[in-house]
This record gives sequence, C-alpha cells and structure tokens, in this order.
Amino acid sequence: MRDSFSTYHPLINFVYFVAVITCNMVFMHPIFQVIALLSAGSYSILLKGGKAVRFQLLFMLPLLLLMATVNPLFNHAGVTILFYLDNGNPITLESILYGIAAACMYVTVILWFSCYNAVMTSDKFIYIFGKILPALSLIFSMVLRFVPRYAAQIKVISHAQKSIGRDVSQGNIVRRARNGMRILSIMMSWALENAIETADSMKSRGYGLPGRTSFSTYRFDRRDTIVFLIMLGLMAVIGAAAFMGQNSIRFFPSIRIQPMSMVSIMVYIAYGFLCVLPVVIRLVEDIKWKFIASKI
Amino acid sequence: MSDQHITKPRLSRRTLFASLLILVVIPITMCIGIFVLQDRKYYFISLLILLYTMIPFAMVFEKRKPQARELIVIAVLAAIAVAGRGAFFMLPQFKPVVAIVIIAGVCFGAESGFLVGAMAGFVSNFFFGQGPWTPWQMFCFGIIGFIAGILFQKGWLKKSKLSLCIYGGVSTLLIYGGIINIGSLMMFTPHITWEGLLAVYASGFWFDMVHAIATVIFLLLLSRPMIEKLERIKAKYGLIDP
Repeated sequence: MRDSFSTYHPLINFVYFVAVITCNMVFMHPIFQVIALLSAGSYSILLKGGKAVRFQLLFMLPLLLLMATVNPLFNHAGVTILFYLDNGNPITLESILYGIAAACMYVTVILWFSCYNAVMTSDKFIYIFGKILPALSLIFSMVLRFVPRYAAQIKVISHAQKSIGRDVSQGNIVRRARNGMRILSIMMSWALENAIETADSMKSRGYGLPGRTSFSTYRFDRRDTIVFLIMLGLMAVIGAAAFMGQNSIRFFPSIRIQPMSMVSIMVYIAYGFLCVLPVVIRLVEDIKWKFIASKI
Repeated sequence: MSDQHITKPRLSRRTLFASLLILVVIPITMCIGIFVLQDRKYYFISLLILLYTMIPFAMVFEKRKPQARELIVIAVLAAIAVAGRGAFFMLPQFKPVVAIVIIAGVCFGAESGFLVGAMAGFVSNFFFGQGPWTPWQMFCFGIIGFIAGILFQKGWLKKSKLSLCIYGGVSTLLIYGGIINIGSLMMFTPHITWEGLLAVYASGFWFDMVHAIATVIFLLLLSRPMIEKLERIKAKYGLIDP
C-alpha cells in the first residue's frame, strides 16, 4: 500500500520532518518524549512493515537500554542520591531519569530519520532546494546519478580487460592487484573526460542562462493547503507553550516540571496530533479506499 | 581570476573570509552555547552551529554562479568518494573518503575541497541512511579538504606522498576523530566533563586509528596517479587554478 503522506507536496513533507525532529530534540519533557517515541515508532512500522519491527526490537530497544544505563555511571549530578558505587561515586535519581529521557530522545530521532529516509526521496529534496541552491542541488543530483553509472562503467571496463587477460580474476595475487588498480585508473580518466564532455554539452544547451525553467511533477493543491494550515496551527500552539515554559523540564540539580493544567493538556494533545498526523492521513486514506473498493 | 594568477601564494579574499568564519566565529558561537545557554541541549545547538558553518560556503558558491565544468568536476570527485565508501562497506572505518577529499583540496583549492567533502558525506548517507550524524560527517570531511587546500596554497603542504600522508593521518586522527567523538559525547551527556570526554576518546581511539591508517594507505596508493590525472585534465581543458 502506498503511503499517502508521501504523496503530499515535498514542502509539506520537509517542513513536517524538520518540525518534529526539532521539537523532539528540544523538548525533554517526559510526556512529549513518550508521544514522539510512540508515533515515530508506529509511523516507521506503517512505512516499512515487519522490517521496522525487527529493527526496533533488535537495535533500538537495546540501544535505548544501554544509553539509559550508561548515563548514571558517568553523570553524578543531582540531589537525590540513591546509593554509592564501589569507587565512591553516587548514583542519583536525576541522572537515571535524565539517562532515560536522553536515550528516548536519541532513539526517537533515529526513528524519525528512518521515516524521513522513506518519505523524502532525493528527487523531492532536489525539488525543494533547487530554487534556493541551484548549483549545489545540481551537484547533488549529479553525484547521485554518477555512483550507479560508475558501477556500471567499471563492469564494462573489466569485461574489456578480461578479453586481453588483464582482469582482477586473472593471474597471481600481485598481478590481480595491479590489474585492479589499472581498471580503477582507466575508470578515473574516463570519468573526468566524460565529465568535461557533459559540462560542454550542458553549456551548449544553455545551462545558467536566464529564463530557463525546470521540470517537476509536484503541485501544491487544496489538500496540501489544508494540511499545511493544520500543521502551522499546531506548531503555533506548541511554540506558544514552549514560550510559556510548559514543555520544558529541569533535571539538575533537582527535577522540576510545570504542574499539569488544562493548558498543558491542550498542548499535549496538539503535539500528539502533530506527531501522528502522517499516521492519521494514511489510515483515513486506507479507510476511504476500502470504502470505495467495496462498493464496486 | 587573473590577478590570482599573478599573486598565487596570496590567499584570495573569499578564502580568507571563509577561514575567518570557521576558525573564529564558530568557536565563539560554541562557547556561547556552552556557557550562556547552559541549561539547553548541546546536541541541538551543535547541530545548528554545524549547519550554520556550511551556509557561507553554499552562499559564496551560489553567488559567484559557477561554470558547468567546475560543478561537474566537484560532482565527479564527490561521486568517486561516495563510491569508494560504498566499495569498502564491509570494513568498518577503512574508507578512502578522506584521502580523496584531501586530493581534491590540494588540486582544486580549499573551497572545492570543502564542497567535495561535505557533498560526499551528505550523498553517501542517502545510500547508508541519514541520521543526526550526517551534519557532523559533512563538516569533518569538508573541513579536512578545506584545510588541505589552504595549507597547499600557503606552501606548507606539498604534492609529495610523504607530505600528503602525514597530513592525511594527522588530520583524520585529530580533526575527524576529534570532532566526531565530541558529537557522540554531546548526544548523551548534559554536562561535558573531562572524564566523559576522555572516556569517549579512549573508546573511539582504535576506530579513529584504523580510519587514519586507511587514509594513509589510500593516499600512498592513490595520490600520485590521481593528482597526475587531475592536473592533466586541468591543463588540457584550462580549468580554474585555485
């Protein structure tokens, strides 16, 4: 099943990930961390299925536990001393809790990035930055293209060398190594010559002249506007709350958070909705599809 | 461009401006982050600083409307570095990226060195996975190429194997290892302590050592043929001399 959040405008995708990853790094408040961890985890499972479940259980869970236990061993700040280690260093409640929060934050960032990798493909990235950084985006897209191209060209060169007995699979180990180096050397020369040719071809077709447009398949339509406005609204609520100090937590020397109130519950809901937005979009789309499909 | 040919050993104003930014403004920003915003998140601040260091390069580069030939040579070198990183994926830390970035910096100047390094770090993570480590790698690769370019222009770094290998080994161990380890420390401590820093450096030492040895080996093997090829291309097509 295609992920419907990925079909939105690249700008929406990009702003969304920048927003959630920034919020996740800045707000260490436990409720915020739990919300982000759960929604990032569920979105990555929706995007990647069983592979994501395996990744989370095999790598992310041990990493979370490891990071949560390592922190109190190195960090002895905090006023609530639970017990002393053999070498006389205290273990404090604050450093344990901070360790858990930091581990949660780190794991959530990795999970968000795994979703980002699936949603923000390189063509979307180029589309967004092509207008602001045209030259760098061009280099970026050329590098992406060159890597598979060079892999293919190495195969061509190696076949040609094989027919005259100079492949990496022929001769003794010293000759093999020398043959390999020669193939790479041919490859380099070819890449550079080919690059100059490409550059001249670009120039003769008018690269860099004014008034040229670029092709893209993206359109900012009504659906995108609605989601964009919702996102901006939620971000405004969260930003205002951050300004009032609702989202922050102080770990050292003693833990202090804002008491829960109606306002803070509203903020939790707003943040929760922002985080699960792609999941909601996906599920709504799936239900719609099922509903339409069953009628046929 | 023409006055640079006459006064070659002098640094151009752009290079000077960029090195001022990197060597002076960024450390000051880091100090502000550490001493003024004590309560805040180190990791987040450091990420911002890294992105912010890369902005002037991008802006300067975009502003002077680079020619197609210049763009494509940078792209080729970055692609070779990415492919090299991919080719050695089974050997952790044993990567030719730094070697290629240094050669790029020496042959095409400090700015190209930075761009090749940063671009190689960025694009290779499209193949290996993006994460909070991406800006750190981009910055480390970029700065090594940048410094290589400056040292070469100043005449302190020669195109000889010995000189390149010494710079490669030292810069990988100290600059790359030094910055990357601070990055991983900032991810999980609220206060940077000497013990924590020491522990991170000690645990990362062998990885950095392998990385440095790999750089030296690749420079030993690659530097002469690669520099020859790049010089030939430069002479044949009259590409910019840094």
